Amino acid sequence: MKLQGDHASELDVSGLLAGYDRTHDVPDELIAADGSIRPVWHDLIRALASMTPQEIGSRIARGDQYLRDAGVFYRHYGPQDTAERDWPLSHIPLLIDEAEWQEISAGLIQRADLLEQVVADLYGPARLVEEGFLPAPLIANNREWLRPLVGTVPRSGHFLHFIAFDIGRGPGGNWWVLGDRAQAPSGAGFALENRIATSRIFSDIYGHSNVERLAGFFREYRDALLDLRGDNSSRVGILTPGPLNDTYYEHAYIARYLGFMLLEGEDLTVRNGQLMVRTVGGLSPINVLWRRLDAQWADPLELNEASRLGTPGLLGAVRSGSVTMINALGSGVLETRALLAFIPRICEALTGEPLRLPNIATWWCGQAAEREHVKANADRMTIGDAYATRLPFELDDISAVGGKFTAKVKETVEAWIDDGAAHLVGQEAVTLSTAPALVDGVLKPRPMSLRVFLARTASGWRIMPGGFARIGHHGDRPELAMQRGGSVADVWIVRKDPVRKESMLPRDGIHLMQNLPGVLPSRAADNLFWLGRYVERAEHLIRLTRAYHVRLAETAYPDTPLLTDLSEYMSSLDIDISRSVPAAISTALASAFGSAAHVRDRFSSDGWLALADLQRSVTKMSGTATAGDDAARAMGVLLRKLSGFSGLVHENMYHFTGWRFLSIGRSLERAIATTFLLARFADPEVPEGAYDLAVELCDSAMSHRRRYAVGTNRETVIDLLALDPLNPRSVAHQFDELREHFGFLPGATPHRPTTDLQRAMLRTYAALASRPAYKLDTGALKDIGAGIAALSARIGHAYFR
Amino acid sequence: MLYDISLQIEYHYPDLADAGRHQIRVMPADLPGEQRTIAATFTVDPAPQEQVERTDFFGNRLTELLFDQPHESITLKVKARVDRPAPVPRLDCSPTLSALAAEIAGYRGVDAASPHHFTGASVRVPIEQQTTDYARSLHTPGATALETISAINTALHRDMRFDPEATTVETPMLEAFERRHGVCQDFTHVMIACLRGIGIPAGYVSGYLRTIPPQGKSRLEGADAMHAWVRAWCGREMGWIEFDPTNAMMAGEDHIVIARARDYFDVAPVRGVMRSAGAHTSRHSVDVAPVV
Repeated sequence: MKLQGDHASELDVSGLLAGYDRTHDVPDELIAADGSIRPVWHDLIRALASMTPQEIGSRIARGDQYLRDAGVFYRHYGPQDTAERDWPLSHIPLLIDEAEWQEISAGLIQRADLLEQVVADLYGPARLVEEGFLPAPLIANNREWLRPLVGTVPRSGHFLHFIAFDIGRGPGGNWWVLGDRAQAPSGAGFALENRIATSRIFSDIYGHSNVERLAGFFREYRDALLDLRGDNSSRVGILTPGPLNDTYYEHAYIARYLGFMLLEGEDLTVRNGQLMVRTVGGLSPINVLWRRLDAQWADPLELNEASRLGTPGLLGAVRSGSVTMINALGSGVLETRALLAFIPRICEALTGEPLRLPNIATWWCGQAAEREHVKANADRMTIGDAYATRLPFELDDISAVGGKFTAKVKETVEAWIDDGAAHLVGQEAVTLSTAPALVDGVLKPRPMSLRVFLARTASGWRIMPGGFARIGHHGDRPELAMQRGGSVADVWIVRKDPVRKESMLPRDGIHLMQNLPGVLPSRAADNLFWLGRYVERAEHLIRLTRAYHVRLAETAYPDTPLLTDLSEYMSSLDIDISRSVPAAISTALASAFGSAAHVRDRFSSDGWLALADLQRSVTKMSGTATAGDDAARAMGVLLRKLSGFSGLVHENMYHFTGWRFLSIGRSLERAIATTFLLARFADPEVPEGAYDLAVELCDSAMSHRRRYAVGTNRETVIDLLALDPLNPRSVAHQFDELREHFGFLPGATPHRPTTDLQRAMLRTYAALASRPAYKLDTGALKDIGAGIAALSARIGHAYFR
Repeated sequence: MLYDISLQIEYHYPDLADAGRHQIRVMPADLPGEQRTIAATFTVDPAPQEQVERTDFFGNRLTELLFDQPHESITLKVKARVDRPAPVPRLDCSPTLSALAAEIAGYRGVDAASPHHFTGASVRVPIEQQTTDYARSLHTPGATALETISAINTALHRDMRFDPEATTVETPMLEAFERRHGVCQDFTHVMIACLRGIGIPAGYVSGYLRTIPPQGKSRLEGADAMHAWVRAWCGREMGWIEFDPTNAMMAGEDHIVIARARDYFDVAPVRGVMRSAGAHTSRHSVDVAPVV
């Protein structure tokens, strides 16, 4: 390899590639057949060769740090556990030059248009079946072919708006389509994150390398979706299955990135054929929904009855033409593996041209001649479920690879094919090309496949210049090497000329969208409200626990009257004082985390990480803290972490309606806790030290000292903690907060009570504020506490239904 | 035969149902040449916020209802007068099973009448080895499709016990078959699985059954509830023929059709999703009386 005029010497380059042991007769992305480095890689390889291992290591650490800070993760479903895993970035990007990319683009755009014609036919006249281009059983027995939508023409006129293709380079050096992703392809958001992380690792090289930017693609796609709304100001929604989905992180990320609403099935309902979002301001129409939910789960009324993720009546809304789904429900039929056997002929019949980019050779065993072919050539094929929508190398429960089963099966492969012919498909086992990956600091060739995304825009299909490369493990069998557990890499399309800088700023004439306060989905409001309550509850429980352990540490007798009273009170709140870190605290934090998980698109990664950190700390302390001083200190740590989270949220969160619900939750919980605390520890009949305890639990010891010349007594405690609006811990102050927030909620007026909720709050407030401290006895406090608690149900009724 | 049909279905929600969307398939079908609905009314109490009529993929009529106010009960009522003439007896011109397979393969189409919808597993009817083996044991080599279907229809009536207490609408097909008991829905699903297992396209018919037997004859099983039976495709020439395995007979003038599809999932009389905290109870009464 000749690299003249480099600052990295030939020696450095050959040192870098010393361990690059590519397989003979398998094409490689980095090294051409003649052993030379492909030109598109020169800059990157030279730069890598000039770096010390330490420098490479610290660059990689920078990229990984970004991913951790951004909280990028995916959910892994393992046989034993389900867990959030770190994002498996393969740090070396895949480089493709401009000319080759143009060929890929042209091939995939042809295929996208073809698939649109096929799906329109399958939900329309079905001529492809009638004329023998597609076997009827393949459609009639297909779960993804949705009978309730046959005959429905999509509102936009198109079934497909955002699709992906998995492609790979075969032994001859040509690209092959391995699978069509026409339903709800994932990965576009991860491609963006890969780009950010990789460009941090190679910031200098990326800046100089004429790499095509991704933002232009997303901007055009976003504008296309906004245009699909028609004449209205409704927002575009992204429909997600929710936080338990493996790619939920991506849904939340892309919703934030594009400025769309993140919705779950229960956020939606249908009225008179129109799809509506349940918001805190009532039902609000929505016309464009980018779904990340498979069709089977979309409508329990007509499809999978067991689905809890869908919206009853959604199919009706589609039939009535009120909503554009990206992509149309039912387009998943195009992903059927066996369809690949028929696409080449269909292409010639419909367009008069052959496929520009072939797909992997496929034979459906439901046809006699094809079945015999598969049986005779089983040793060169991957044989599996004809209706599966996975890639050839993603094996089914039972697949036969190279003539051998991947699971224990009693029959022979031949008998198995004969028995289940109509359900089986044979696909040529292709060896995919290899691409460089860093393995323990050394460049190694690894099998690679690529996911490429296409979006329909006003000017036709637009291809994302880049994508999502999957890097497999080292393995003897390429199809096994590509199974789950590999890593992913950024894809750089490198041009000869400098590229334009792209951003997400909207094109001329379109103003930045403003989010109206009323379009907060009810479910999001509900979760934010409870997030506020649970965090505040956790704080109260931690303060109680700390107060208990501080006193325990100070006395030799755990049965002093005050400790007995305190422990009784704590038991009434389900705090088990026999444990240094009571389970009630971790339960409250877990609930907070659960609520936060549903509204991840609404607050910053920092806030999320702070909450996750808090949960980890609690788990750790549960095992180690001992009663008394140690536990008290542990509670102090938790309190500081908690105020870190609250600070992040309340200082940085934009004061949308969502923030109001979060704040309402916090004030309401604090008002309830303080009122009942006073009912107990400001009672005339309390043991010595109880008044000080109450002041301490409300974090108001300093205020008390400055405000009153005397020590604590019943009246000063009630005055400061219940009635003084200038004390941010007092009940009266919570009422002030609530009054303000309630005034800004949909349907309300800020300065006079116009909603039932506002009036109910005023009544309870009056019961408190109209009494002097000495008249606020325990009975009155309990009534007021119950009145505040009842506001919670009223809020739910008014805004979360 | 002319019938007056009345149906009443009541649901009670002790904890108040909050909102619900339902698909209702209870109206007798209008089938030119087979069955004529002379007059029919469908009433719902309380009045739903939305009520829309349409037909499904298989051409069955259905009503979609939306309730969005809290309600403690729903009552659905059907009153209909239907003329269901006795089918003309037909000679068996159905093919053998292997010839039938060729006829199915030759049918290019996925229209509602296509046999292809009825060959594979459907939501409520998986194809199981047990039912397929059972069906195979009843098939005489060289027998026509119609003879084979008749044999299975008779055998199931002989081998399975009609028992309204033994199963629920949710009982899986295989469980009903292995315990050899159930109601019309179970008999029908089992027979569909048997037929599809040996390559005969088969579907589900929901309908009404004459309640009061003709003089001198005994009351048919399942007559006090809505009924279900099987339709099977006997080749291009004969088309679809209907059998009632619960009563070991061919469906005829005693059987009034509501809807035809792949299995119960497609044509359940009441399908729907209800937002309610608690359980519900339901009652359902049917009367199918010949007009004299």
